[in-house]
Amino acid sequence: MTKIVVVTSGKGGVGKTTTSASFATGLAQRGKKVAVIDFDVGLRNLDLIMGCERRVVFDFVNVIQGEASLRQALIKDKTFPNLHILAASQTRDKEALTPEGVEKVLNDLRSEGFDYVVCDSPAGIERGAHLAMYFADEALVVTNPEVSSVRDSDRVLGLLASKTRRVERNEARIKEHLVLTRYNPARVLKGEMLSLEDVTEILAIPVLGVIPESTAVLNSSNAGTPVITLPDADAGQAYDDLVSRFLGEDRPLRFTTVEKKGLFSKWLGG
Amino acid sequence: MLPVTRINATTDDLAAIQAQLESMARQMPAMVQGMTAVLETSVPVSLAGYLSAVRSSGMKVVGVSGALLEADAAGLGLPVLPADTGAAKPARGAAQTASVPQSAAPETVPAPAPAARTSSRLIADPIRGGQQIYARGADLTITHQVGAGAEVVADGNIHIYGRLAGRAIAGADGDTQARIFCRRFEPELVAIAGVYAVAEQLHGEWLGKPAQVFLQDGTLKVERLD
Repeated sequence: MTKIVVVTSGKGGVGKTTTSASFATGLAQRGKKVAVIDFDVGLRNLDLIMGCERRVVFDFVNVIQGEASLRQALIKDKTFPNLHILAASQTRDKEALTPEGVEKVLNDLRSEGFDYVVCDSPAGIERGAHLAMYFADEALVVTNPEVSSVRDSDRVLGLLASKTRRVERNEARIKEHLVLTRYNPARVLKGEMLSLEDVTEILAIPVLGVIPESTAVLNSSNAGTPVITLPDADAGQAYDDLVSRFLGEDRPLRFTTVEKKGLFSKWLGG
Repeated sequence: MLPVTRINATTDDLAAIQAQLESMARQMPAMVQGMTAVLETSVPVSLAGYLSAVRSSGMKVVGVSGALLEADAAGLGLPVLPADTGAAKPARGAAQTASVPQSAAPETVPAPAPAARTSSRLIADPIRGGQQIYARGADLTITHQVGAGAEVVADGNIHIYGRLAGRAIAGADGDTQARIFCRRFEPELVAIAGVYAVAEQLHGEWLGKPAQVFLQDGTLKVERLD
């Protein structure tokens, strides 16, 4: 049974693509057969973060318009052969995405026996974002600890509760998970950021993961390796916890409180 | 009792009428869809065109009122209804006023008819930014929060057993007895029977506290509930 998971947020630049890449990779690390699709037609990024930008021949829009087969367009990850990437088109415009086309691609992935299809949504609430969430079974709502991001996530949660196929078909509602990214407990203490408690109170959905603000995220994006593959990076460990929690494992939240610096790290200037 | 909205045409420009209705339907789709309406006019206007403009907005026309439309109504199979005298306002919120001590009420006011409104609407999910809920001819009870940017509207009272951070509009069809109750009062806007106040005007000791909003002598009052 294929599960379709949308990674969405409303606001741009909060970490949707970073989360999609690490989430999909984490599922693949655990042996799942995973496809991750970039819905951001015209502004493709996922291939860069997954490090496969030089192997893109055909893209999502080519498949929708019948110019290439799904198998031709799926790019196999170099490290995890059970992980596949479907890149967005850089040259077409958003109108190229149609509900029928998206549904057909998702159905084809189903019949290919994928366990998970991760839909990396574009920012905004327009066509691309709508189609990315429309067929979803579960949603990762990516939010930064600041008011505008939280408000946009609230708006997106409203759309998830009203404008999806599950709602139209009167099926069980989409399971929503909060992913709080760029979290910096020290700045929360100083009052520069909303706290985890503030955000969960406003959004009223369960927390799947808290990803600390980390230079590792930027570095790994630039290097084209999802941060989850870096076991020493705090953000990588946080994503690893997140994937385990998604699959039902009980892991306590980390990186949500300020770590007291030990004597040694003080001396060493850490 | 079925709430009925009276629509009065102040122009014979059908395109203008249609445009205004369409813009209203865009802003308040839940309210306009299926709204029962009686047509009136202050100027001579083609009833057939007027009727189709109103119907295309999604409203249901149940009749016309006034001499200017009477003649055409029979041909279109529409009943002619009496003009609104203003005296027939139903006693909505009767149960509410009964529980509030009102010793100062004038003797001449007839006792309100018991509970004309029987319906109410219950919502157990959070209302998110961008969502709009309208309880037509009913009270609205929300057992969750109303987020910033969300709008809840009821013709009767609104009860929110959570945070009110969005807009709440009670007595939307003109009931001045309607009230808004919430567990945490942080609204963007509250309104009762068209009298409204925005967040800036609502700073006070009740902010973030359980509170109720009601109309007193045409002014909005906020009161702590605990």
